[in-house]
Amino acid sequence: MQSVDVIKYTDEEYEKYLTDSIWTKAETDQLFDLCERFDLRFIIIADRFPTSRTVEELKDRYYSVSRSILLARAPSSGDVAGHPLVKESYNVSQEIERKRALSMVLSQTKQQERKDAEVLAEAKRIAEARMAARAAEEPDLPVTREVGPEIADRTAVHGDTVSPSNNHPPAAVVPSTSMMADNASTLASLRMLKVYLRTYGLEQMVQAASSSAGLRTIKRVEQTLQDLGVNLKPKVPTKAVCAEHLELRKEILTLLNLQKQLQYKEAEGSSFREGSYGDIPGTPPKRSNRGADQDRPFVPDSTSFGGERVGKRDQKRKGPGRASETPSSPAHKRPRKFKTSDL
Amino acid sequence: MYGGDEVSAIVIDLGSHTCKAGYAGEDAPKAVFPSVVGSIDQMDVDEEAANNTEQSDSKGNNGDPNSNKGKGKRKLYVGSQSLGFRRDHMEVLSPFKDGVVADWDIVDSIWDHAFKECLLVDPKEHPMLLAEPSSNNQQQRERTTELMFEKYNVPALFLAKNAVLTSFATGRATSVVVDSGGGSITVAPVHDGYVLQKAVSSSPIGGEFLTDCLMKSLESKGIVIKPRYSFKRKEIQPGEFQTIDLDFPNTTESYKLYSQRVIAGDIKESVCRAPDTPYDERAYANIPMTSYELPDGQTIEIGADRFKIPDILFNPSLAQTIPGMENFAEVAPSVRGLPQMVMDSINRCDVDIRKELFGSILLAGGTASMQQLKERLEKDLLEESPQAARVKVLASGNATERRFSVWIGGSILASLGSFQQMWFSKSEYDEHGASYIQRKCP
Repeated sequence: MQSVDVIKYTDEEYEKYLTDSIWTKAETDQLFDLCERFDLRFIIIADRFPTSRTVEELKDRYYSVSRSILLARAPSSGDVAGHPLVKESYNVSQEIERKRALSMVLSQTKQQERKDAEVLAEAKRIAEARMAARAAEEPDLPVTREVGPEIADRTAVHGDTVSPSNNHPPAAVVPSTSMMADNASTLASLRMLKVYLRTYGLEQMVQAASSSAGLRTIKRVEQTLQDLGVNLKPKVPTKAVCAEHLELRKEILTLLNLQKQLQYKEAEGSSFREGSYGDIPGTPPKRSNRGADQDRPFVPDSTSFGGERVGKRDQKRKGPGRASETPSSPAHKRPRKFKTSDL
Repeated sequence: MYGGDEVSAIVIDLGSHTCKAGYAGEDAPKAVFPSVVGSIDQMDVDEEAANNTEQSDSKGNNGDPNSNKGKGKRKLYVGSQSLGFRRDHMEVLSPFKDGVVADWDIVDSIWDHAFKECLLVDPKEHPMLLAEPSSNNQQQRERTTELMFEKYNVPALFLAKNAVLTSFATGRATSVVVDSGGGSITVAPVHDGYVLQKAVSSSPIGGEFLTDCLMKSLESKGIVIKPRYSFKRKEIQPGEFQTIDLDFPNTTESYKLYSQRVIAGDIKESVCRAPDTPYDERAYANIPMTSYELPDGQTIEIGADRFKIPDILFNPSLAQTIPGMENFAEVAPSVRGLPQMVMDSINRCDVDIRKELFGSILLAGGTASMQQLKERLEKDLLEESPQAARVKVLASGNATERRFSVWIGGSILASLGSFQQMWFSKSEYDEHGASYIQRKCP
């Protein structure tokens, strides 16, 4: 029957080469005895070993002893250089690290896995939205170049934050609040280090989003925000909050645009119907910019408004539609906000 | 298979509920009988006779019978036939206490019965393969070895762990074996044919415990299980029977309990099913009842208990809700359910083999032949197991194979050609002593 050749050392050899601080001779002898009986099945040896030693410790001791004996017995080190035991030494720390990582993988239960997948999908979506927003910026902004790797870094970092072991907070948040007041040179140097200031980035994105609208519209957007009780610049600029803020701005903009279009259409419609009056189509009834959808119910012309409404609803429905793909809490909040005010 | 004149080994699996014995190479044990014995203490009988004849004697005068005090005067009755016959003063005793052998005389008598009366073999001529519990200690093994070599003069012996034999029966060298037997449930991981002893866990909730729960539950509902000996059925008209109660005042309590357990065990095996979801009192309140006819002609209806009793395996605290079983709470406060035991056991093993262990979880033992047990266990484990590992619970489709998987594994092992050099022979015993068993049978 086949068996492994386990090295046998004599007592003198032990005294000369093999003494160790954490291993006694008795233990080492016992280890080698078990190795022979169980054919180097270290998991079983660890199980049967009288004192509790980890598999890595046992392997380490066995391989280092065998190696030392081989080297000691060889007439010259060149003879045994080709021997597998001598060529590759057993790397204890690497094994311990590998096992730790493996146990991390194996301790993730199904629920955690599901949550992780949700969060990663959400992060990807936000990153893509931001990429799209930034793509509309002027090309001379150097931040654009470094967006790619940063987004990738942040996605990876974000993914890490929800795994049980690593707790690296996103590096971006901490420097942003402290260095808010600094001047452009510091900003430039930070950019060199690939640090992303969220507030600065937010400004950029706000500008990009509102570049399509005029100054007056921007003022109205900001007015709406204040009416809703939202700060113009979010107090705590985390990733989720900034994303929400931008989203809100975009939707207010859309709302205002649609309202304007509605007014024009109504004016047209009324001017067609009352053609003899020759009304100036430029004086639509002044509508307050209060809130989002509270204005809807009072309009008499149901068909056209219904059309607009459906159109608007569809746009709004993008929110819940999106939410069904990635059911995370921020997405849920958005459709709910509008629904309550619908009533 | 061997040729005609090869002497084949004998495989014995002495479990806490039944003993299985037979020839190696066969696919089922020839002898299956309960591993309890009826014992009549002769001293009791003599004392009774002495008391009857000498009415006025005081206790101090019983000098003669006292000299025969001790186990030597005990008559043991082994086997289902002997146990089925009611005798006065017969106590039913089990050799096991808390899972380990406490009374070696009873074990001896059981083996004797197996050899002489069931298998009709002479132990001198056959190597013996014995199945032992996965967490057996050194003294037990040495005692077994001594008994076998000294008393029965076997030519060769091998002690194999239950979990390893089950693993071999399914053709795997690495697996987690869930052995749900009569006395306890043991979860033992096997790696490369060796049990990882530090990861073995066991719980006292076995088939017998479930039978007791069922009995108490039926009693609380007013159903009386009459032992078979306590009634007689007379045919008064063709097809119609009348039950007459018989009274045997000298029947011991333990015998009565034993007979009732036999009946309750049969009810459990025929009626109980593992529920698909954890048992909920309200959900099962309106479940349709199944009827079962007791040996005395009574027909009983069993409803929620069909599912409640098996769910005790998964949720041991359910046992406390059964009237009469409240003392369980003090006995085992930290008993966990079956899925938790499996998870614990696997997580105590080295990380490298965990994935493989998750993929081969084997069910064995009498209680494992309960319907839907495999599906329920798989479902519960899928919830708690890691995403990266694929969970697979295996159980033989055949109920008898599940019950006898340890014995079958032994039968396979003992008939392998490469196993023949691993026997612990008599000469080695004479040379090294009983402690050498530790080296020979790892």
